[in-house]
Amino acid sequence: MRTEEAKFILAAYRPGGGDAGNPAFSDALRMATEDPGLGAWFAQSRSHDAAVSAKLAEIQPPAGLRDAILAGARAGQSSRSRSPAWGWAAGLAVAAGLVVAVISFRSREHPQTATAALASFAIDDMLNAKHGSKGEPAGTLVSELQTEGSKMPTADQIDFEKLRDTGCRTLNFAGHDLLEVCFARDGAEYHFYVTRRDGPLGDAVASGPSYVALAGGAAAVWSDARFDYAVASTAGVAALRRLL
Amino acid sequence: MNNEAFAQLVDANYSSLYRFALSLARNASDAGDLVQQTFFIWATKGHGLRELSKAKSWLFTTLYREFLRGRRRDSRSTFLEDLPPGEKDPVAEDVDRVAKIDSASVMVALQSVDETFRAPLTLFYLEDMSYQEIAEALEVPIGTVMSRLSRGKAQLRLAVEGAATSGSKVLPFPGNTKGNRAL
Repeated sequence: MRTEEAKFILAAYRPGGGDAGNPAFSDALRMATEDPGLGAWFAQSRSHDAAVSAKLAEIQPPAGLRDAILAGARAGQSSRSRSPAWGWAAGLAVAAGLVVAVISFRSREHPQTATAALASFAIDDMLNAKHGSKGEPAGTLVSELQTEGSKMPTADQIDFEKLRDTGCRTLNFAGHDLLEVCFARDGAEYHFYVTRRDGPLGDAVASGPSYVALAGGAAAVWSDARFDYAVASTAGVAALRRLL
Repeated sequence: MNNEAFAQLVDANYSSLYRFALSLARNASDAGDLVQQTFFIWATKGHGLRELSKAKSWLFTTLYREFLRGRRRDSRSTFLEDLPPGEKDPVAEDVDRVAKIDSASVMVALQSVDETFRAPLTLFYLEDMSYQEIAEALEVPIGTVMSRLSRGKAQLRLAVEGAATSGSKVLPFPGNTKGNRAL
């Protein structure tokens, strides 16, 4: 074995000595004991590694990250004991003590999970959160949304970055921005939510609308190539269907 | 997994996952997002692990996959640089330099290492993972891990040297050239 080969192997030797019993290192280690130059190199390398490890171990995560993790994952924890067909929505409902009526499901692998998660989040937010004011671009969008007979916006009508700055609110949905725009139509209040398709739900939300009704509110969830959407209201599923 | 068990899983792993994410994403906000998303995936899609002893490896693998997925999505191509070979051998001054700069500066130096080498290097330094464990977590061949560790260490030493001599300001590693694959 040449010296350079030995160095190559020893570079993977952990500074804490965790590889002492690994035979893959034995030849290189033996060579390091017999070759003073290589031995010195190895000693310096280990010291450097140990110093770097110690410094990096001092880095602490930001305050609040733990709580954010637990809050973001809370909706998902009740899903796994249920059947794949409707376990997610049912789990969420049991956890919330609510009656769930899933009006529409898709046959893909996880759409129920993602759909129910987003619907539950939207309904919960609609019912319990304090909703904010609107900026100018959102105001334009609101005008369109409030126009009787108009449909929900599509991707080409949404400038996500502008909407983030001017929408009603920006929510944290499992670490990703979920934008909200509030509007009223026919005397009912609606809350429109949009998040990037590449967010926490991946591509698990079906394109066609699914409707989820919980006690106190209902939501429609759908997606297109760029975004996942939800619209929630207390007006019921029939009212939501008229928007889509 | 009940809430208490999940919280224990979070407590046992979120700090080290955050450090790994910070080295990859290079900013605290994105690192926090990556960690949150990793646990969210665990909670929502199911980990399918019967052995909780493998949870740590699963979490690191998932976080790394999410990082790669996000990077592809953002069209921020990873340029696998044609880097100079790892010829910077350690000297006594290298150890002194590390000792003299603060942990944040060492992290910044690590972040300046090319991403290809940074991920295995971080697991090596922060998690004390063996090269076999790193290969499993990052889903790359063992030989590739060893090569990346060797070259990554050389880059890191140069970056730390730069940090120590320029008042802790670490610049991105030079010589990035798109399209050249380095192991």
